[in-house]
Amino acid sequence: MDVISCENLTKRFGPAIAVSELDLAVSPGQVYGFLGPNGAGKTTTIRMLLGLIAPSAGQIRLFGRRLPDPRAVAQAGSMIEEPAFYPWMTGRMNLEVLAATGGGCVPGEVDRVLGLVGLGDAARKVKTYSQGMRQRLGIAAAMLGRPPLLIIDEPANGLDPAGIREIRGLLRGLAAEGTTVFLSSHLLAEVEQVCDRVAVIVGGRLVEEGAPAALGAIRRRVRVEVAAADTQAAARLLTRWPARYGNGQFLVEHDSGRDVNGTLLAGGVVAESVTVERPGLEDRFLEITEKEDARAVAAGR
Amino acid sequence: MLWLLAAESRKLIRPLVWGTGLVITGFCLLITWGGANNARAALASPRIPDVCARAVTAPCGQVVTRAHAAARAAASATSLLAQPGEIGHVAAGMFASVPGLLLIAVVAGGHWGGEWGSRTIRQLLSRQGRRSRVLTAKWLTIWAAGVAAMACCWLVLAVAAPVIVAAAGLPAAHVSVWAGLGSSASAIGRASVVLGLFAAVGTAAGVIARGQLATTAITAGTMLLALLLAGMASVGRLSPATFVQAWMDFGTPGYLPTNFWSRFVSGGPPPGELAGLLGMAATGAVAAVVARWRFTADVTV
Repeated sequence: MDVISCENLTKRFGPAIAVSELDLAVSPGQVYGFLGPNGAGKTTTIRMLLGLIAPSAGQIRLFGRRLPDPRAVAQAGSMIEEPAFYPWMTGRMNLEVLAATGGGCVPGEVDRVLGLVGLGDAARKVKTYSQGMRQRLGIAAAMLGRPPLLIIDEPANGLDPAGIREIRGLLRGLAAEGTTVFLSSHLLAEVEQVCDRVAVIVGGRLVEEGAPAALGAIRRRVRVEVAAADTQAAARLLTRWPARYGNGQFLVEHDSGRDVNGTLLAGGVVAESVTVERPGLEDRFLEITEKEDARAVAAGR
Repeated sequence: MLWLLAAESRKLIRPLVWGTGLVITGFCLLITWGGANNARAALASPRIPDVCARAVTAPCGQVVTRAHAAARAAASATSLLAQPGEIGHVAAGMFASVPGLLLIAVVAGGHWGGEWGSRTIRQLLSRQGRRSRVLTAKWLTIWAAGVAAMACCWLVLAVAAPVIVAAAGLPAAHVSVWAGLGSSASAIGRASVVLGLFAAVGTAAGVIARGQLATTAITAGTMLLALLLAGMASVGRLSPATFVQAWMDFGTPGYLPTNFWSRFVSGGPPPGELAGLLGMAATGAVAAVVARWRFTADVTV
């Protein structure tokens, strides 16, 4: 049974469509990345998963229970966007209140989660916390009570590189213990390093879904610049990979610059430059929309 | 539900709540001080018509005697009302009228409307998915804050009021410290019901306004509008403020006022006590229905 299952999930705000016909299936124990540029519909989807907003169409099941069943939502620990706390309370008190809100937890649970995120005794009032500390406290709050599902929105926000690595290790550790982690981010590197499976959402629509290495949105490609005289020879040599030519450069859909350069050299072409790059999500989105436009023109629409 | 209530009660331990309670208690002390001083001033120079103040005639002698007797009676009544057992009427009356309404409006704003302002509503609802429970817990804790503040006010007045009337030089009451305790407790009980109505309005206002200041404004504004309507002969009998007046049976204030409500309510004889209670229950039910209906809407903060 899937931990999260969304079918034809759609959310409209007036005439604007925030999420359109989204299908997702997250298996137990996975770290599932939900990738998309800002405004893609990630947070809207998470709000629907947590029952904060109701879908306009489609359905969501958590652990087989169809939302808005509150018993399903109770099994998810969550952190949405920038975590919010009661500023007049200490970090520890905030966690104690949150634990009680959900029906209480075992003694020592607050200490356990504070220790996991490296916040120590959290005896200071939350209003004095830095953004990074709030983020850690938010992740600690999500882990309260050992929920079998963690839904975390942009966990790297406000964390320094060491903190990001620490949280990444923490999430992988939780997944190893059997917790399912649903992680949203707009950072390619973040999901690539931590996720077993990734869904890419752009403009509210699911663009791609699969293992990170297999995704076009994440896959590296090689940009090659050759002298004008060598253009035709290079084009012939590079036919073994999907490649495009424009602005005096080849864009080769392959993740190894070494392979591409070696092929060119073997054919007697010396490249002016070889750069391995990863397209941004916005680039990928533009590519997709260009392809769709071209398809529409070809179909005479 | 008990865990949730414990969590919500803990959130009330904040400067906003006890600060507001302190201000209202201070106001009650000030009123007592003012009432005692007015009674003393009236005792020293009773209100005598100018014509009798200048002419010494037999009829005027009677007028002067009656004026002195009335001033003595009023001073004794003030002194009696300021005894620890009796002063509960002042605390009950104040909290079942405008000062109590303002306290509930401020608490509802901070405790409920503020959940949206600070975005903690997301944590609250993703931890506790049963929205009707959240509404009930909020209503109960806002009400409990009002009742606790009223009890504290009674306690403070019970200690301070006898000292104030003695310092003002009013005649001693010559009654037991406990005299009037039963009727005071009854008034406190009735005021608790009124605070329940105010809390219901505050809870509904929080869901409608979804912000701290707006919740305070709507709570106070709604009941003050009801008070305004209660002064109109045509619709006054159907105003929630009239129901409160009928239930509390507020009398005409003496030197030491027992409420800030009855002076605004006019327009014919008030309905009976039971009609007042039923009217308040109906008003509370309307507030509950509105709150439940509005709380099903998306939470997008």
